[in-house]
Amino acid sequence: MPAEATGQGAGPVLTVRNLRAYYQMRYFGIFREVRAVDDISLEIGRNEIYGLAGESSSGKTSFIKAIAAANRPPLNIVGGSVRYSFLDRDIFRLDPQTLAAVRWKHLGYIMQGSMNVLNPVRRIRESFVDFAFRHIGLPKAQFFALVAAHLERLHLPPDVLRAYPHELSGGMRQRVTIALATICRPEFIIADEPTTALDVVVQKGVLGMIREAQQEIGSSILFVTHDMAVHANMADRLGIMYAGRLVEEGPTRTIFAEPLHPYTAHLIQSLPRIGDLAPKKALGGAPPNLAEPPPGCRFHPRCPLAMDICRRETPALTTLAPGHRVACFAASPEVRPAPPDEDAGRADGREAALQPAEGR
Amino acid sequence: MLAILRDLLRYNREFAAGTVLTAIVVGMAVLSAFSPYPPGDIYVVAPDLPPSWDHPFGTTSQGQDTFWLLTYALRNTLLFGFSVAILSRLISLLVGMLSGYKGGATDRVLMSINDTFIVMPLFPLLVLFYFVMRDDMTWALLALVMALLGWAYDARLIRSVMMSLRTREFTRTAVFSGMRTDQIVIREHMPYVLPIVFSTTLNNINWSIGLEVTLSVLGFTDIETPTVGTMIFWANQHSALVFGTWWWVVFPTLLVTVTFIGLFLLAVSMNEYIDPRSRLSRMGGGVA
Repeated sequence: MPAEATGQGAGPVLTVRNLRAYYQMRYFGIFREVRAVDDISLEIGRNEIYGLAGESSSGKTSFIKAIAAANRPPLNIVGGSVRYSFLDRDIFRLDPQTLAAVRWKHLGYIMQGSMNVLNPVRRIRESFVDFAFRHIGLPKAQFFALVAAHLERLHLPPDVLRAYPHELSGGMRQRVTIALATICRPEFIIADEPTTALDVVVQKGVLGMIREAQQEIGSSILFVTHDMAVHANMADRLGIMYAGRLVEEGPTRTIFAEPLHPYTAHLIQSLPRIGDLAPKKALGGAPPNLAEPPPGCRFHPRCPLAMDICRRETPALTTLAPGHRVACFAASPEVRPAPPDEDAGRADGREAALQPAEGR
Repeated sequence: MLAILRDLLRYNREFAAGTVLTAIVVGMAVLSAFSPYPPGDIYVVAPDLPPSWDHPFGTTSQGQDTFWLLTYALRNTLLFGFSVAILSRLISLLVGMLSGYKGGATDRVLMSINDTFIVMPLFPLLVLFYFVMRDDMTWALLALVMALLGWAYDARLIRSVMMSLRTREFTRTAVFSGMRTDQIVIREHMPYVLPIVFSTTLNNINWSIGLEVTLSVLGFTDIETPTVGTMIFWANQHSALVFGTWWWVVFPTLLVTVTFIGLFLLAVSMNEYIDPRSRLSRMGGGVA
């Protein structure tokens, strides 16, 4: 992939190349494969908040499980590489000890449903010890001084340390979770729908806190949510996922102002605007079954601009403007299916070869 | 901890009653340390005396003071119950947590053993065991055998709790943060499992005391060690009820019943401690 997508600073923190992660199952002798993450390449720069958007079951959570190497069977990494600037090799080639040492210290993870990340029968203070003490390597007293200072920076009262999770409100718990994920000052943080269960007022506070923490420790964040309004507030750059593929990527402003992919355009149009009383148009159809994705562009059955070529060939993610990539034949007449020597072309050939087998 | 005990005593009548009854039994067991007569000696007092100030529970046909003999019997019976409960709890914790957390083949193997123990008829097995061992049968051996037979139900319970804990987000986060499996199981999951184990422990004590008394009354244990069961056994041997020395049967029966009720009430009220919501509603604190 060309390096034009790099954010500010020197060199990307995360480089994902042609990542494919499939759910592979064998039921009663029949092999099924759900292509939750199919041929995704992206780079995330230093100090950048990268928003990943897409509707439910578009493969967002599978993608982050894969890049954190936290995937468990049946989700298997089929191909591609994930490199972090703080690792000397592909994360899938690390031995388990190194991986355990790197996670949390360099690679933070705010999990989906993070309201339940805290153990209900352990005090917050013990959760800090369990998750972070080992990585920080300070004596207990200094460790707790550090934790207290960190909580104070994030505007949390120090007595939350003595509380049990059920004694805190949802927003409070969320803040504690973020404090837990950032205490080791990781270079890269994955945030999987961290505000989904919160109401908008609390959400605003939590988002502000994530931003503050990010600026304070200078880390990069991969921020995943289906909520476009949150992305508009948070992300520096935005990637749109559809059916396991990255369909568009660009600076947040550009994506909102002039989306190039018809799916992105629909997403943006669905956002309410003050004073706009026109009814919102729903996009017909449903996301495709990823066990048997449609041939060609996966969006073509729902796409108002679908052409013949969309049904036959998969559009490659192509740079149309500096930092703005899109995978759509209709977006620009120059967009051609990628030549076979490029990565996307490989995926094409693979799909074509698999099609006869999928006809059940 | 003290505050919890105080709240339980004040707001939970089951707990208060259970505490009083258990305290009576435990108090009597403690008194055995002050007994003027060694438990093995017979004909130390005049036989067949009815309850009086000198002998509050009367004396037996073997010339023993029923009260002081009963203190030894209760001590042994309670110790028996505790040893069985603690030993079997260790096994059920180990099997349940391993099976629930590991899953897969480990789970299948352990649970098939577990289910075998659940369906095995215990009483005939224990009787058979006595006929095999005969004179080698001791109190400690019986406790060990009962512990080996009594863990299966709770192992299943603990397994189910562990299976649910395994899929919680905090477990996934703990794994992600690099904690080792033993650390996760002991530090993150044990505090969750222990209150449940504690409640079943009391029931297990009751279960083992009940079985021990049943076996002893029929003479299928080491009848030389005084327990509540063997006391009733010897009373029956001397036809106490026919002969009119009713106190020899009634007092052991009464106290073992008190033990059952006390432990049962404690076990029931332990659930209130495990579920703080019901504790709060009892105290009038509304729904938590």
